[in-house]
Amino acid sequence: MSIYIQGTGCVSPLETAAEGPFPAVVNPAYDGARLKVSDPDYKQWIDIKQIRRMSRIIKMGVAAAKLSLQEAGVEKPDAIITGTAYGCLDDTGVFLTKMINQQEEMLTPTSFIQSTHNTVAGQIALMLSCHAYNNTFVHKGFSFESALLDSIMILKEGKSKHILMGAMDELTTHSFNIISRFNRFKKEPVTHTELLHSTTPGTVAGEGAACFVLGTEKGDNSHARLTGLTTSYKPGSTAEIAADIIAFLAVHEIAQEDIDLLITGRNGDSEGDIWYDHVERTLFPDQAVGCFKHLCGEYPTAASFGMWVGCKVLSSGQVPADVLFKGNTPEKIKKILIYNHYKGTHHSLILLTGC
Amino acid sequence: MEKLMAALKAQIVEQLNLQEVKPEEIGDDQPLFKEGLGLDSIDALELIVLLQQNYNIRIANPEQGPEIFRSVRTMAEFITAQQTKQ
Repeated sequence: MSIYIQGTGCVSPLETAAEGPFPAVVNPAYDGARLKVSDPDYKQWIDIKQIRRMSRIIKMGVAAAKLSLQEAGVEKPDAIITGTAYGCLDDTGVFLTKMINQQEEMLTPTSFIQSTHNTVAGQIALMLSCHAYNNTFVHKGFSFESALLDSIMILKEGKSKHILMGAMDELTTHSFNIISRFNRFKKEPVTHTELLHSTTPGTVAGEGAACFVLGTEKGDNSHARLTGLTTSYKPGSTAEIAADIIAFLAVHEIAQEDIDLLITGRNGDSEGDIWYDHVERTLFPDQAVGCFKHLCGEYPTAASFGMWVGCKVLSSGQVPADVLFKGNTPEKIKKILIYNHYKGTHHSLILLTGC
Repeated sequence: MEKLMAALKAQIVEQLNLQEVKPEEIGDDQPLFKEGLGLDSIDALELIVLLQQNYNIRIANPEQGPEIFRSVRTMAEFITAQQTKQ
């Protein structure tokens, strides 16, 4: 059974919240070591009466969902599955701050209702009047991959035709300050063109939402098939992850040289990029390599943005200049392997095939 | 009463995050729910908290809610009556 990506939608630091190809102008606005989403006009997807209660992550998630459904030509999916590590962080902060300031009295309901991790999936379901299966996975750096795995399994059961799935995470000033204490981000100023070549520890914080409509039939706008997915938690060494990749490709009866483009989660962190260096050097020395985290920043569900980039590459047959990290754009792009890790512990492989 | 109603309108707009509504656009007798300002049950809870926070008034009988929150004027009348009692 083939699983087709019938529609995609993405809200990111780039101008991605529109149908069509990868944005022609790529100029993510770095604010120190932080990348914020470029907010589109959300009113084009969300009623003004509903928008007033939504925090940024809900608006981002709903917009990405609506875009993907629109592209797929699907009005009501058979399931809604999301992944998020941080959930609705902003409203959680609002609610907790009020709890402290008001000594747990006179708390308003809105920020509480909107602070749960499954708010985005629930809001999408409400807007679509979709009473089907609705699930949200919260597994740190595997949140997106877990949602993807659940979608694959449901489609393989054969009971669902279209599944809306995606991942979203937001960054707040509060969370940025807290994570900064762990030295996760660059201390020195950096630009998107410099980040991937950085030799210092730390990366750039990011956020975003990417949604996909998956189905078992090729839709009018299907350009990619989701061929494989696997995860590896805390591999012992770079050699171990290389062996995992070889085994993963073997399961899908693909040789290393069959991969036309490797997309990695390289993020300019000298400590984390050694994984990608090893894989590029030992397994794919002759292949073109693309990257995406200099465009969206680092966050636990950033692999969803990577998959969105992979879909855009397959649909256009071109690797955008700002994505290409090493090598030349291949003449044909049929198979893309996305290798990402989050904090060196959560490693994932996603295999996309053109159709 | 006029001063209280003006203050209430500003508080409602702020508490409910009515982004497209200016306080002065809310009519004194305009229904707050359904066909009027379009508020819903979650907003009703927000309005109850608003009364507690800003006027230290608790609604003892929930059945009074629809009557109290019919319009800005009914809210103002209720607040005035409660403050007189205190």
